[in-house]
Amino acid sequence: MGNIDIRSVLTLALIASSFRMATPIIFATMGGIFSSHTGIFNVAMEGFLLIGAFFAVYGSVQTGSPLGGMLFAIVSCLLASLIFAILHLELKANPIIVGLGMNIFAIGMTNYLLTALLDSTGVYKSNLIIGFTQIQIPVIETVPVLGDLVSGHFPLVYIAFLTVYVVYLILYKTPFGFHLRSVGEKIDAAESIGVNPKKMKYYGLLVSGLLCAFGGTFLSLSYLNLFGEGMVAGRGWLALAAINFGGMRPVPSMIGCLIFGFMDALAVRLQQFGLPSQVVLMLPYATTIIVLLVSAIIARKKRMAGIGKQDDVDVSVATSSKKVEV
Amino acid sequence: MKSGSEKKKRLASWKENFADVGAQLFNYLFILLASLLIGAIVILLSGKDPIAAYVALFDGAFGSGLKFADTLDRTTIMILAGIAGSIAFRTNIINLGLEGQLYIGAFAAAWVGFTFHGLPSYVHIPLCILAGVLGGALWTVPVIYLKLSWNIPVLVPTLMMNYIAIRFTEYLIAFPFRDPGAPMAGSPRLAQSARLPRLIQGSTINIGFILAILIAIIAFWFLFKTKTGYEMRMVGLNKDFAAAAGIPVNRSYILALTLSGGTIGLGGAMMIMGFFGRFLGGFSPGYGWDGFMIAIIAQNHPIGVLPAALFYGGLANGAMAMQSATGVPQAVVAMVKGTLVLSVTVKVFIEGMRKRLQQWVI
Amino acid sequence: MPEALSVKSITKTFPNVVANDNVSLFVKKGTIRAIVGENGAGKTTLMNILYGLYQPDSGQIFIKGEEVKLSNPRDAIARGVGMVHQHFKLVPSYTLAQNIALGVEPKKGIFVNQDRLNQSVQAIAQKYGFEINEKEVTLDVSVGEQQRAEILKALYRGVDILILDEPTAVLTDMETKELFVMLRNLVEQGITILFISHKLREVLEISDDISVMRNGKLIGTVNRDETDECQLAEMMVGRETLGGRMRKGAEIGDCILHVEGLSVLDNRDLSAVKDVDLELFAGEILGGAGVDGNGQEEFVEAILGLRPIVSGKIRIDGQEIQDLTTREIREAGVAYIPSDRYRSGVAVDAVVWENMISGEYYSPPLSKGMSLVLPEIQDLSKKLIDSFQVMTPGPNAKTGTLSGGNIQRVIAGRELGLEKAKVVIASQPTRGIDIAGAEAIRKMLINYANRGAAVFLISADLDEVLALSDRIVVFYEGKVFDAGYYDEGIRQRVGKLMTSGEDCIDEIR
Repeated sequence: MGNIDIRSVLTLALIASSFRMATPIIFATMGGIFSSHTGIFNVAMEGFLLIGAFFAVYGSVQTGSPLGGMLFAIVSCLLASLIFAILHLELKANPIIVGLGMNIFAIGMTNYLLTALLDSTGVYKSNLIIGFTQIQIPVIETVPVLGDLVSGHFPLVYIAFLTVYVVYLILYKTPFGFHLRSVGEKIDAAESIGVNPKKMKYYGLLVSGLLCAFGGTFLSLSYLNLFGEGMVAGRGWLALAAINFGGMRPVPSMIGCLIFGFMDALAVRLQQFGLPSQVVLMLPYATTIIVLLVSAIIARKKRMAGIGKQDDVDVSVATSSKKVEV
Repeated sequence: MKSGSEKKKRLASWKENFADVGAQLFNYLFILLASLLIGAIVILLSGKDPIAAYVALFDGAFGSGLKFADTLDRTTIMILAGIAGSIAFRTNIINLGLEGQLYIGAFAAAWVGFTFHGLPSYVHIPLCILAGVLGGALWTVPVIYLKLSWNIPVLVPTLMMNYIAIRFTEYLIAFPFRDPGAPMAGSPRLAQSARLPRLIQGSTINIGFILAILIAIIAFWFLFKTKTGYEMRMVGLNKDFAAAAGIPVNRSYILALTLSGGTIGLGGAMMIMGFFGRFLGGFSPGYGWDGFMIAIIAQNHPIGVLPAALFYGGLANGAMAMQSATGVPQAVVAMVKGTLVLSVTVKVFIEGMRKRLQQWVI
Repeated sequence: MPEALSVKSITKTFPNVVANDNVSLFVKKGTIRAIVGENGAGKTTLMNILYGLYQPDSGQIFIKGEEVKLSNPRDAIARGVGMVHQHFKLVPSYTLAQNIALGVEPKKGIFVNQDRLNQSVQAIAQKYGFEINEKEVTLDVSVGEQQRAEILKALYRGVDILILDEPTAVLTDMETKELFVMLRNLVEQGITILFISHKLREVLEISDDISVMRNGKLIGTVNRDETDECQLAEMMVGRETLGGRMRKGAEIGDCILHVEGLSVLDNRDLSAVKDVDLELFAGEILGGAGVDGNGQEEFVEAILGLRPIVSGKIRIDGQEIQDLTTREIREAGVAYIPSDRYRSGVAVDAVVWENMISGEYYSPPLSKGMSLVLPEIQDLSKKLIDSFQVMTPGPNAKTGTLSGGNIQRVIAGRELGLEKAKVVIASQPTRGIDIAGAEAIRKMLINYANRGAAVFLISADLDEVLALSDRIVVFYEGKVFDAGYYDEGIRQRVGKLMTSGEDCIDEIR
């Protein structure tokens, strides 16, 4: 247990599996960025991922196709986020409390449906679940290092990284993105130009539901084809930490996701070396706390460096004040 | 003339109170019925009889003296968890770490219970309880550090500490404190001197229940009748106002988190010392989250926690009976709970109701 | 001259208030019309109706001769009516150009055409003679430039009737002059301007016609050349003088609050208070004048221990307090009326008594050991409610249900009621509250000074400072300048210091 060769741990396969582990977190993070930019800190993503994962499995069993499963996941997550949106936006409930209520509701619902629809408790595993298959990218596949890292992933892994770029384009390059972000940053400005903040908040929540459906589908229909009630394991919360880390910007937040993904992958890898699983499985969660701390330290350092340059306003600090304080 | 206006004022405030209380009662009745209705629809959809299921549920929870006693035993942890949630909420701290604090408190109490032998009960039990409280309270220290020193909101860190606590206690009973004789992963048995005395023959209900009620009353007194409670509530309502008034804001945050953690740690100790007799891995089906919901339902009022906790205790205890009697999976209860807490978050009904009642009294 | 806009018999009521009572108005094209009146006279309500934010209960609106119904700002903009609010509606992290074109961005496919956006904004700025760095991030530019962006935002949408809500409230004198030049430019190009203000001097300088409102009614409209300040003031308040000098002779004692070399940072870690010295004496009311945002807030928060200080010493009665906690500072004898009563004055969700005891709850007779003595607390609260004339059902009422003026009385009762304080720091104590309430608060401050306490009255309302102060200092860009004791020349000195600070300090002496 004591002698583990670092080189045998830090392999290309480890990096490649970090991408895989980061994928569901990236989806949730990008969805969360959307709602955060409309001023809603979406704490229900944990529940959305769970709902997505369950219905992906159920849909796959019903339709015999992973795409069918994904469709089920999308519809159910959109419905869940619609309920969230109605409770918060129409019935004026506190979004944090509603979000936490949604999580509890999601646990209850999947728990119940697992028994009622799939006749299992805790875990459902079956040959009837048809998952996605890996994609081997021609040519790149044969390039030594690159091939190991980039080729042979499940389609949703590529889609996750594509999503980061698309979210960036939508939020920062389109009129819609400008309007949406103005709602979260300065709602008066949005209203003054005729943007309907409520509508944007609906969009924000529905997009976070949609992307959590992708994340949930990946959890249950790629790599492991099963549904387990504890399988989301805090990834919705890790996504919130990643958003915080990246200051709501898509690419920096993605880097946060990759750090968490790496820790997940490392935890799995270290278990194979006989370290007690209970200890290594703490890694991703402990890392999250450390990442939050480190980003707070960096932010403060930046501010300190700005002191004295009196007329030089530090935009990054000022804009980061948008972060939701709870 | 002065007494006339005094009277008018009193009448106005009476009307206000009446409308308040009436609207609250209506509101609770409404959301309770709505949740049960949604549960009934779900049961109906799965082809079962909802009435029979609810009857079985009620019977399982309150059907006989002993069943009622067992429900009260479940209520113990629900009360303590609800109080823990309420104390934090009152200070505007969303403590998502109740579950983790519960595990650490439970383990700490168990450790004192199985490590020391030959102590008299009146020494051993308080020691175990103290360990449970300290365990739960100290588990919040990293979160407090992050909040006070680095201004990091407690939401994500408290939640992460749950996973760490659960894994950590699993590790402790898998390696250093493993009891090979235990039926599932668990610690050695507690010394008999650390077990809580039972109250009724044939039921698991023990003095922990009385302690929990006592804690609720103390929490009420603490929050509403003491200086420190006043400080914490003012910080919770408006921390800038509190700071400008000279109220120690950071101390209130520290107290909110440690008292919250300590209370649920106490709950963990009660579970181990009263019910299980040893620490078991994964022993909690989510009591921390129940506490969170109970606090929301009780609107963070320690006395309101009592009926809400009883309701949750009844659901927990009756669910099993319902499943075995009617085949309706107990998971439906989780759905009812989720619906309940979602409907409590909706404040518009209550506001509308309050206004209508006010008009009605005039 | 053709008509730009007119309203006939507009009435708008809110619960308990008639905000606009049968108001009729006629504005000619290409003129500047000022609407003046005190706070709560109904000016802003009328403008919000013209901009489609409110719908009148009755009455008609005509734009360019045509009767219109405006159900939202979009309708108003489509009819050519734009509005610039007192608080800017700009997104801080966007560039000025992005803000100006927000909502009507030129596109390239589905994306924003950033180049064309910048060009079109620059073009419109040049057309109306506005100087603007359209690529700057909004957060980084001066308030004056942000206001230019706000005006351009309206013009970019092709409006030709522009409503400006107290545009000069946030500007320095210099910026105000620049604004007036720009407004003249706009008028020459056929734009019609409605200008809300309560600063009569400015109104007389810039507008063609002046309409006066009081208590929701339009009292009258006069031509600029046919009126003067006195007449307007009388129309506004319905009495001869506008809140004259309230303060009569003071007995000045020893120095109580002594600030030496104080430097403080603001929330963005920029220097907000720069090496400030200040002395405050027993029995005097020291006025702190200055446009908002010149370091007043940070200065006050530093004295109260609510904001860390970079350097300097603060003494009360010779005792250094800069390292003490807020509670210790308050126990040393500091009472504090914060500028934003909802942010730090009260907890609106708490009941009245809870807000009244926040400075006293921990000592007898209000508490005994750990617990609060609730009967004593009730008695004290009732006493304070009576003596400060707080309109409330009682100590157990939710504070949030009280009006702004009554909430301010709750704060005043708490801070001044026990008559313990040696130093009273009152920051914008009468902002946004009714006239009677404001008068009451002012009298309390005078009484307090007469009893020998030192009062520091910080207010952006120059008339208030002039009416109450024995001596006046001026906050300007984080520094504090002494304008000296009250005398005939004080208004000029303060005015100069407020707008140019140090540059004129020799001139004053």
